[in-house]
Amino acid sequence: MKNIELPIPHNEAERLAALKRYNILDTLPDTAFDDATKLVSYICGVPIAHISFIDESRQWFKSEVGIGVSEVPREISFCQYTIMDTKMVEIQDTLLNDRFKDDANVTGGFKVRFYAGIPLTTPDGYNIGTLCAIDHVTKELNENQKNALSIVAKHVINQLELTTKNIELNTQKKIAQRAVLAKDSFLANMSHEIRTPLNAIIGFTDLLSQTKLDSTQRDYIDSVQIAGENLLLIINDILDLSKIESGNLNIDAQPFNLKKTLKHVYNLLKVKVPADVEFNLFLDAELPETVIGDQGRLNQILVNLTGNSLKFTQEGEVTVSVKKVDETEDHYSLRFSVKDTGIGIPEDKLNTIFERFTQAEESTTRRFGGTGLGLSIVKQLIELQDSEIHVKSKPGRGSEFFFVLTYKKADHIETENETLQKEDLGKLKILLCEDNALNQKLAKNVIHNFGFELDIAENGQEGIDLLSKNQYDLVLMDLQMPVKDGYQTTEYIRNEMNLNIPIIAMTAHSLVGEQERCYDVGMDAYVPKPFKQAMLLETIKTVLNKDIKHSVKRKVNLSFLDEISGGNPDFKQEMIDLFIQKIPNEVAQLEEAFSTNNTDAVKKLTHNMKSSFDIFMLEDLSNYLSVIEKEANAGEFTTESADRMNILHCGITEVVKILKEL
Amino acid sequence: MKIVLSEDNEILRKSLSFFLTSKGFSVDQFSDGQEALEAIKQNSYDLILTDINMPGISGMEITQYVRKNISPDIPIIIFTSSGVEQTELDSFDIGANEFIAKPISPAVLLIRINKLLNIRL
Repeated sequence: MKNIELPIPHNEAERLAALKRYNILDTLPDTAFDDATKLVSYICGVPIAHISFIDESRQWFKSEVGIGVSEVPREISFCQYTIMDTKMVEIQDTLLNDRFKDDANVTGGFKVRFYAGIPLTTPDGYNIGTLCAIDHVTKELNENQKNALSIVAKHVINQLELTTKNIELNTQKKIAQRAVLAKDSFLANMSHEIRTPLNAIIGFTDLLSQTKLDSTQRDYIDSVQIAGENLLLIINDILDLSKIESGNLNIDAQPFNLKKTLKHVYNLLKVKVPADVEFNLFLDAELPETVIGDQGRLNQILVNLTGNSLKFTQEGEVTVSVKKVDETEDHYSLRFSVKDTGIGIPEDKLNTIFERFTQAEESTTRRFGGTGLGLSIVKQLIELQDSEIHVKSKPGRGSEFFFVLTYKKADHIETENETLQKEDLGKLKILLCEDNALNQKLAKNVIHNFGFELDIAENGQEGIDLLSKNQYDLVLMDLQMPVKDGYQTTEYIRNEMNLNIPIIAMTAHSLVGEQERCYDVGMDAYVPKPFKQAMLLETIKTVLNKDIKHSVKRKVNLSFLDEISGGNPDFKQEMIDLFIQKIPNEVAQLEEAFSTNNTDAVKKLTHNMKSSFDIFMLEDLSNYLSVIEKEANAGEFTTESADRMNILHCGITEVVKILKEL
Repeated sequence: MKIVLSEDNEILRKSLSFFLTSKGFSVDQFSDGQEALEAIKQNSYDLILTDINMPGISGMEITQYVRKNISPDIPIIIFTSSGVEQTELDSFDIGANEFIAKPISPAVLLIRINKLLNIRL
């Protein structure tokens, strides 16, 4: 009996591959299979039942009743024969069966007298395992029991298929989610990259339009301006959307003048109103003057919705109305509505208009233009403010979009700053420190347009020389310059020359923390390049109008430490001491690793230091670490990172100083 | 309740340990992954808190080892400052129960711990 050749199915390799596909071997118990096994034992009235799978060397029990082991060697299993078959194998009395009557598990072991096994066959026809009923006494299954067994076997296979499909689905889902993320970050990066040169195009077109032009040239320039601004709008839309999707868009909570904002939107869009359309702004008499919320986003929502209404309305009216619907002790709820008598939206399209790249009409994009992103952004901006947008519409009659936003009440009434007119500034004498010829030219033109005088220094040192010879009202300071950069120059002006002349920083890359560093060395304001004329003028007005200079000092925020220590002063002090003792050292190590281009050490140090910085809530410095870590991972440091290391060093020196004084 | 905390940043480790102790947990802290794992092998903990990047072995390896060789259901919370999404996916793939991105909010950490421990009660 022992020298009987063991049965191996003709398609053994494929069969094993099929089994592997299900990843079922050595998995944890599963109720679905346990239930099926119990069912087999009930149906057949047997004390032993199991669902098992057979691999190269063993029979592994996924689920069993009355066996008590998790696997047996394949060569002693009855089921190695069952998987050779296509239908059920029933041995009513093993003692009468030539193959089994001397088997160790018949004469002893499990004492198998009755055996019924049905192969578990995959949809593509491989017998990967068995479903069995076993008894210690002889037995004969009736037709119903046999049928029931085949049905249970089919269910077991279905269960396997389902689990496998679910795992596959999950994997696909993860891949899809990753793809969406990749796409969003691609969009964000691309929009940023496109925006930078576009700003230069718009800036120079702006300047060009202010020169003497003949009517054809004027016409061309107007077209370039309109196209440029439209392109910028589209890119801003895309950037917004990707920011929303990646959760990077924050809603501001700043006091703002509500009525002024609404009037501003009205005035902005008034110029776009078609001849036969009446454009109204209705404000509730009870509307609060000032509220706390996100002015910019409200602006964006209303401009978008109203812009849409105006676009789709040929005659009749477009009305923006705002009503107070509720007021609590500290909140106002305001209902904003934009209503038009335009082409309207068919009912079946109402649900999809808020989806991206969808407009109510296929042809709308061509007829009316637009990216199809506007409404999607509006919807998400409103949802970010914990509200939702509603729409009512009838084709041919018009549409109404409305939403209710809740704003916090402002404690104090905003004091209105009289805006300075350009004339009030008189003829200012300005010093520009800037090494790039193109930027010099742009700034020169802009400043002359304002009616101011301008001297140009090629670098910081030259600027200092000019400052000591002449009288100036203001300095415009580029940050990256040869000989003496903007930071060094400012420090020199403030500390050596002891001048408190207003200094405005100008820089191309608006990095997090850079602004802070500008303030730290004593600059008064900050304009990102390429600057807009209006913004520059506004900044000049602000710094000249500033009576009291409040320099922005770093504040160390210990609230996280408070929370984690439950306010325990001893523990807090211990952590502060630890910070003072460790971090300057680590910064020094980091500087060393950075200067020797040791990316591995930089990686480890930045990664570890981030946790320390987070506890002291040094968010800006922590961000620098992340950027440096990322570059270390990529194996190459950019020149900006040398600046970052610098800022990091200064920042930590300052933090340590503050912590020591506590 | 006994928690094992493995984190190599001293300030963070001490802070978390202090915080959790003040909330009534007993905390064993380690700055080296290998030492943490040895402790896990020898003691029975109610919950494992681990950073990913550590000297010795990583939090991922600890998680894998625990799931494979010690217990399929002891709650494991992984935290890391890596902003890479794959890290989070991997953490769950190898059997972590929670994934918390640094900076860790103590309140959030506490809620997750309680949630994991309650589920087991």
